[in-house]
Formats: sequence, C-alpha cells, structure tokens
Amino acid sequence: MRLLLVEDDAMIGESVRAGLQQDGFAVDWVQDGRAAELALEANAYDTLLLDLGLPRKSGLDVLAALRRRGNAIPVLILTARDAVADRVKGLDAGADDYLVKPFDLEELAARVRALLRRKSGRADPVVRVGDLILNPATHEVSLAGKPVSLSAREFALIHALAARPGVVYSRAQLEEKLYGWDQEVESNTVEVYVHALRRKLGAHMIQNVRGVGYMVPRQS
Amino acid sequence: MSSIRRQLLLWLLSGLALAVVVAGARIYVQTLDEANELFDYHLQQMAASLPSDSFSPLPPSSMEELGAGDGLVVQIWDRNGLELYFSRPASRLPQRAALGFSTVETSRGSWRVFSALEQNNVVQVAQPMSVRRNLAAGMALRALVPLLLLLPVLGMLIWITVGRGLKPLDRMASALDRRTPDSLEALPEAGLPREIRPLVQALNDLLARLERALESQKAFIADAAHELRTPLTAVQLQIQLAERATTDAEREQAFVRLKSGQARAAHLVQQLLTLARQEPGITAPVHASVDLCELVRMVRSEYAPMAASMHIGLDIGEQAQAGVSGDFEALRVMLSNLVDNAIRYTPAGGAVDIALRLRGRDAVLEVSDTGPGIPPGDRARVFDRFYRRDETQLPGSGLGLAIVKNIADRHGAAITLEDRTPGPGLRVSIVLPRA
Repeated sequence: MRLLLVEDDAMIGESVRAGLQQDGFAVDWVQDGRAAELALEANAYDTLLLDLGLPRKSGLDVLAALRRRGNAIPVLILTARDAVADRVKGLDAGADDYLVKPFDLEELAARVRALLRRKSGRADPVVRVGDLILNPATHEVSLAGKPVSLSAREFALIHALAARPGVVYSRAQLEEKLYGWDQEVESNTVEVYVHALRRKLGAHMIQNVRGVGYMVPRQS
Repeated sequence: MSSIRRQLLLWLLSGLALAVVVAGARIYVQTLDEANELFDYHLQQMAASLPSDSFSPLPPSSMEELGAGDGLVVQIWDRNGLELYFSRPASRLPQRAALGFSTVETSRGSWRVFSALEQNNVVQVAQPMSVRRNLAAGMALRALVPLLLLLPVLGMLIWITVGRGLKPLDRMASALDRRTPDSLEALPEAGLPREIRPLVQALNDLLARLERALESQKAFIADAAHELRTPLTAVQLQIQLAERATTDAEREQAFVRLKSGQARAAHLVQQLLTLARQEPGITAPVHASVDLCELVRMVRSEYAPMAASMHIGLDIGEQAQAGVSGDFEALRVMLSNLVDNAIRYTPAGGAVDIALRLRGRDAVLEVSDTGPGIPPGDRARVFDRFYRRDETQLPGSGLGLAIVKNIADRHGAAITLEDRTPGPGLRVSIVLPRA
C-alpha cells in the first residue's frame, strides 16, 4: 500500500516514513502543501497522512481542494493542534481520522490499516480470499489453516492483490504499491515476487492476465 | 493593627474630653471671679449694716439672717482692742490690723476678711474662701455633667458612622476574598465614597494590567507547549525506531537521529527559557554600563568558526566607540541571534557584516548579510513568537527574533529591517539610546 506523507518537519517526516516502511507500506514524503498537491496529481495513493501547519499551502487548504476535486482518498491528519475545535474543523473539512502529536508509530500504522480496510469496504480486520487469510496488522498469513511465511515485500504484493479480488493490476501499479520514491525498483522484481508467492501459496492463487497484469481471482 | 474606627474614636473623644475640661476650668474661674466680687460686696454691706449700738451678742437668729449659711463670721472690737462680739466663738479669727479686704490663711483654710471702723469699734466680717470655691465648682460641674453624659453617646455615634462609612471596604474585601486567581474583572466603582474610589480605581488598573500579563503568559505557555510537541514527537518516533531496530547499523542510525532530536528539543527549551527571562516585567532590568565595541568583538569571535565553516566572511565594518546602559549578557544574546540568523541564511561565499556607528544621541548596531532578505510584507511578523516564514527551509525554533525583540524592548531600542544596499540581502539595525 502506498501512502503520501506531508510533514514539514524533517525529523518527524523521516521517522514516520522509516517506521511505516518497516510496517510494509510504501511511503512518499513531501514537506509542503504545493508539493503535496503535485504528488497527489502524479500518483495514486491509498492514504494521505497530512500535517496541518504546512509552508506554502496549509493542510486544511490542501484537504479542501482535494475534496472539491472529488478525490475520495482516505485522509489522516497528523498535527500538534489538539483543541477539540481544531479536531472538529479537520474532520469536517473532509479528513477521515485525526491523530495528535506526539503519537505512537504502532497506533499510526493501525489507524492507516483501519482507513485502508474501510476504503476497500471491509470491516473484518483480516483479508480472506477462499482459504487464504492475511492479517495486515501482524503480517501473518495462513493457507487452509496452515501458517505460511512471507517476506515483507511478498506480503505487500499479495495484500494489494487480495484486497480487491478480481481486479487486475499492471506491473507498474504493483511496483507503485511496493516502492516509495526513495527506494530503488529493480527490473522484473514483481515477476520474482509473483513467482515466490505462487510457489508458497499455489499457482492458482495469482493469475497472469497476459499483456495486462496480475490478479487474485474472486473465490465463489 | 491600626484601626481607623478606633483612632477616630480615641482622638475625637480625647478632643471632646479636653474641650469639656477646658470649658469646666473656664466656667470655674469665671464663676469664682464673679463670686468674689459678689461676696466681697456682701461682706462690705454686712459690715456697714451691723447695728452700731449693739455690744451684746446678737441673737443667733439674726446671725442666721446675716448669712451664717455662707459661713460668715463677725467679730467686733472696741478701739482698745477689747473684744466686744464674736458671732462664732469656735471659729475665731485673729484681728486684722489693716482695714479693708484681706485674705488670711488659717489652719482651717483661707478666709476672706473685711475690716472696717464703725463708730470707734473695729468690725471684722470674714468668710471662708472654700464657700466661694465650692460655689464655682458646683456651677462648673452642673454645666459639664450633661456634656460628660453625652460623651458615650457621641462615642457610639462615631463608632456607627465610621462603620457605615467603611462598609464599602468590607464589601470589597469579601468580594475580593471570593475571587479565584483567574477572575480578574474590575471591581464595581458605582456608589463608592469619594475617599475610597481612588483606591478601587488603582486596584482596577492593577487588575487590568495583571490580566493582560496573565493572558500573555497563558498564550506563551500554550505556544510553548505546542512548539515542544514537535521535537518531542520526533524523539518519541526515533525511540520507537531504535527499539524496532534489528541490525546494528539500523540501531546506530536510530541513535544518531535520536541524539539530534534530543539536541533540538534541548535547544528549543533553552530558547524558550531565554525568551521567558527577557519577557518584559519578568526580571528586574539591569542597568550596567556596556561597552558595545567589546560586545561586537566578542560576538564576532564567537561566530567566526561557524562562518568560516560555511565559507561566509564575517567582518566588523565601521566601529565607533559607544557605550549604553543595560544588560551585557542580554545584549550579547541579542547580537548573537542576529549574527547566527545572518550566517545561516547567507549562501556560501556570501558576507555578514557587523557595524557599530553613532547617530546623534544613539548608538546603532547593524548586522547585514547577503542572504535572500525578507520581503517588506513579512518584516513585522518575523518578530512574532514561533513565526517561521514559508520559504524557510532551515531548522529553527522560530524564537530567535522574538528574543531579539524582547531584549531590544527592554533596552528601549528600536529595530528596523531593510534591504541591504547593494542588494540582495538584509540589514537589521538596532538603535540604542546612548548612556
């Protein structure tokens, strides 16, 4: 899952990015409101993490413009403004959640997972496709009740595909979900991970739609 | 504890008592004078009216008529000194050689004596002075008793009136008593006696000033708490990353980040403390003689290494001899902050100049740089606490210029920001009144 982090403070931005990457998210980080808008136009993000006190364009303005354009991306506000009035203002401007600094990395990751869950129309914290069960919080995977061990990237890839069964993702889209700007994308990595996943979960789990991309088929 | 009511009571009653005593004494003296005159005349009349042919003792009844009630004693001698008559043998008086009035001291007190020659006999009429004194004292007392009886009544009246007059003070005291530390609204001034109103007005002024000070402190604390959140958030996140680290390299990197986060929080706290100390009205102003030349040299040598490492020339331009009255340490912090800012905003290869010149009765400290400058629209706001310009990419607390402003204010100095000539760049001038 790919997130856009908008945070003007270098120390906080760096740490949040590092922490979320460890949790298996691809994170792009920008430091001002204008850069955030450019990034949002250029890339498809699954969630926006937005600070309010930003240079050049305030977080609330970015949010308002985003919603005006009809962009429904889940937005989590990260801010030091803790007054109830500020929270209400943030949520009413179109944010889905509000987290006050200082916050905990675990809680931030959990809230991001909750937002992603809601976005995909799920209430169940685990992703189920047939007898495959993925737990995004713990990265535990089981197939027909047996645990399966996956690397972080493998998990991210199967999670992205299994979250929306029947939807075909191109290689480029999958790369976007796996890598932030700061991470090198090696050629044919998606193929390498798909190969590994098929070996561990069974070849039928991921279908190759020739010329288009990959999907996890819907289970009846 | 002094009490207005008791003091008034004491002094008013003492004054009244003194007046009563003086009045009594006057009545006594006056009455005594009049009694003397009257009784002397009486003695004379009596001597004249004694029957000249009577050599036998007068019947006691006629003596009563002659005024025995006034303690009169009548004695008659013939020319040869032979006693002819004593009205009261028990209170015999010596024969007076001189005729007319005289006052005689006897073992029974002093007597007023009138001697006269009546047909070859010496007639002497005498009266104890105590009779006159008693009369005068009696008069005086009768006049004073009602006044004396009035004293307690007056005392009570004073007590009550003063109490009523001071009632507004009591009300004010209990109104103030009920207040919590943050209820600083003005006390009502309506219906107050003229004597108390200035006190209440002064109190209200104080309350208003206190409220403003408290408001600015509250705002400061709220700002400070808000600003401290940022470095604390960074530190908390860095700690979590350090905990999660699985390899030595990761851990090392996490600790490097953690240290810089901690240093940043410490710097912010230091800046906040400096700002709080320089807040007007927090600490007593220091008025020592400060040599600005020394200050400039000191700050330049302090920042020379930093400037050199960033390839920026740090020089002292014009340097006049100038001294001001103030706090050396505070002025050093002020100039350091300006020089620090100038160096950090100046690109490598640029120059920062410190100048000290005289202008009329003022000394002008100038720091100019070849950085990007500050657009005129932003110049007023850069002194606000925690204000950071959008274009600013450098880390900082946003407090440096607020500290500069506070210190300048405490020294009665004016700050101007202008474009450096030739541009681009910023020139900050601080105009200090010379000692």
